[in-house]
Amino acid sequence: MRQQYAIRSLIIAAGLVVAGLAVIVQMIRIQTSEQAMVFLSQGDRYSGEFQMFYPERGEIYDRSGHLLAGNRTVYEVGVSLSEMETPDSMAYILSTHLGIPYEEIYKKLSESPETWEYVVIQDYVAMETVDALKGLAQQLDDADDPRLSGLAFKPHLQRSYPESSLASNVLGFVTRDGRGYFGIEEKYNDLLAGNPVQIWVPRDPNKASEIPKVPNGTTLVLTLNRDLQAKVESLLDEALSDYGSPNGTIVVMDPRNGEILAMAATPRMDLNNYGNYFSLYDDGSQYNRSIGMSYEPGSVLKILTMAAALDAGTVRPDTSFIDTGMIEVGGITIQNWNRDSWGQQDMVGCLQHSLNVCLAWISSQMGTQAFYGYMERFGIGHSTGIDLSGEATGRLKVPGDGDWYPVDLGTNAFGQGVAVTPLQMLMAASAIANDGKMATPHVLYSMLRDGHQYNVPSQYAGSPISAETANTLNEMLAVSLEQESSQALVPGYRLAGKTGTAQIPTDYGYDAFHTNVSFVGWGPVDDPQFMVYIWLESPSTSIWASETASPVFSKVAEQTVILLNIPPDVVRSQVVPK
Amino acid sequence: MQGQVSQVIHAHRQAPWRVQRQLIGAFLLVVIGAAMVAALYLDVTARTAVAGREIQEMRAQISTVQRENADLETRLADLTSSAAMQRRALEAGYRPVQPGELDYVAVPGFALPEPAILLAAEDTAPHTQMRPAEYTQSLLEWFDERIKFGAPR
Repeated sequence: MRQQYAIRSLIIAAGLVVAGLAVIVQMIRIQTSEQAMVFLSQGDRYSGEFQMFYPERGEIYDRSGHLLAGNRTVYEVGVSLSEMETPDSMAYILSTHLGIPYEEIYKKLSESPETWEYVVIQDYVAMETVDALKGLAQQLDDADDPRLSGLAFKPHLQRSYPESSLASNVLGFVTRDGRGYFGIEEKYNDLLAGNPVQIWVPRDPNKASEIPKVPNGTTLVLTLNRDLQAKVESLLDEALSDYGSPNGTIVVMDPRNGEILAMAATPRMDLNNYGNYFSLYDDGSQYNRSIGMSYEPGSVLKILTMAAALDAGTVRPDTSFIDTGMIEVGGITIQNWNRDSWGQQDMVGCLQHSLNVCLAWISSQMGTQAFYGYMERFGIGHSTGIDLSGEATGRLKVPGDGDWYPVDLGTNAFGQGVAVTPLQMLMAASAIANDGKMATPHVLYSMLRDGHQYNVPSQYAGSPISAETANTLNEMLAVSLEQESSQALVPGYRLAGKTGTAQIPTDYGYDAFHTNVSFVGWGPVDDPQFMVYIWLESPSTSIWASETASPVFSKVAEQTVILLNIPPDVVRSQVVPK
Repeated sequence: MQGQVSQVIHAHRQAPWRVQRQLIGAFLLVVIGAAMVAALYLDVTARTAVAGREIQEMRAQISTVQRENADLETRLADLTSSAAMQRRALEAGYRPVQPGELDYVAVPGFALPEPAILLAAEDTAPHTQMRPAEYTQSLLEWFDERIKFGAPR
């Protein structure tokens, strides 16, 4: 009997062992099967999520540390559909606070697919609106009122421009997708935006770890002087109003290093409402006329012709020229601006009276090779390389081009038949104000990244003329301004400069009634610290630059010496021995 | 005599209650050991979970503080913008200076300061620090590593 029990026990034990082994084998088989790998990967997929961490976009400051472009918090307002209890009340409250039609919100809340857990009502909502909604939600929650249950706010940063439209033509703007358009925002978009980082964030707190710090975008410091920029913009608006000009631009640059101190152009837009772009501009070239639009500059280009002729030895300041009022170049007769003859003149007189005939004679004496060689060296027809997006190159026709004619040698000498941007003219003229060295204009002063400041070194675009030529012409232009008692003069400061009145080319020849007026000038003559370029389009009160652009230059120069702390010549002569 | 002693010892060893006590003792020893290991594991795991939650909260706090900082900076810039300062100056009775009203004093050797932007005090220390595995791995992971790779040398 006992033996029978023993045998049964052994059989049951063996059976259990076999069953146990079978379970273990099955467990191992399941764990190592192909399906197990699929299930494991599915489990891993829900154990966390990849999150993209976007760095804060770098800020933009002026040279004195005034914030020109920063960031501010805005909110995405959404509703958690599973927590929402009263869609009609929710839609009504949100429509009154967000300004969205009730029907639109109600449709989103009530007709979303069943699989949706969350629906976005509006993004980029201002903090003040969200604060009001939060306060109301809290009140209702305290009263156990479910009308706003499920309402959620997700904060994020948005570009903000504290100065609104100030320097808008230089800064550009950033759209909601985070991309910069125009100006600094586009040119340095990659630096400002930084590098977004994608990181796996586990849901299991046991696996939570410190997320590596995502460095902010690079902060930029510009060469702009905010106060001067504001003043120049104000003077430009005043000039447009006074002289009946639809648009214009004024640029102030330091000729010693090419730093742009102020760059005003019209129209300007409030950068916080960049949606106005399409109502203000027909195309991108109008966004910043200083760099984006080229035009025939007229007589301001005579200073380059004179610089070239002096440097080539074709003329000297005392070279005599008998002005008969006309000259034939390439079979075409060229006349002076008033169609008059001015008799015997020296080169200062040619500049002072802005004689087309004299300058056409000079370029003819130089010959095409020398004249266009100098124009190329002055950078005419080439971009300046300024660190702003959207720069135009202008156009300099040269012998060999299909549309170049021999008469162009004469007309180009006084700025007709050649297209330049205001900035190109400013860069070329900087050689005259800066001992023959042509400074490359730039807007970026320094970059701040990872706690380090990198200053941008000044660059020079060559020396088209010698220092001696530059100083000679500098003096000639100062004398020229003084002798004509120009409205461009500023008491206490010796300045040099030249006006430019240019006819406007059309498809049917030159416009007989409208002109572009310009002025390029700098000072103080013995130590030039600022250069100003002015372009007013089609002024209606007068077609002459001497009556429009010259007084504007005087006002700009007057404010520039105040804001840049440049003492009058008498005071400076006490400090700096001559 | 010797035979009697041997019988007593043998009887003592073979006593059923003695064998059972030994088995129960061994079983309890295993249970207590397992409980201690489990308690230790739970303690470490709980502390890790708390630290993980704190990290997540701190991460959210950092984001909030960064946003607030950006907001305050922009708000300050709004309040001190060129237009706002000009308006406040006019309200306070100031007016733009005219060229003839400026007096310059010659100071030999004085040079205007170059533009200098004071950098904000940023944490430039390396952010990714090497932490020993003991601070990050669980007990089971530690066992697993030892089984796979043996003791550290």
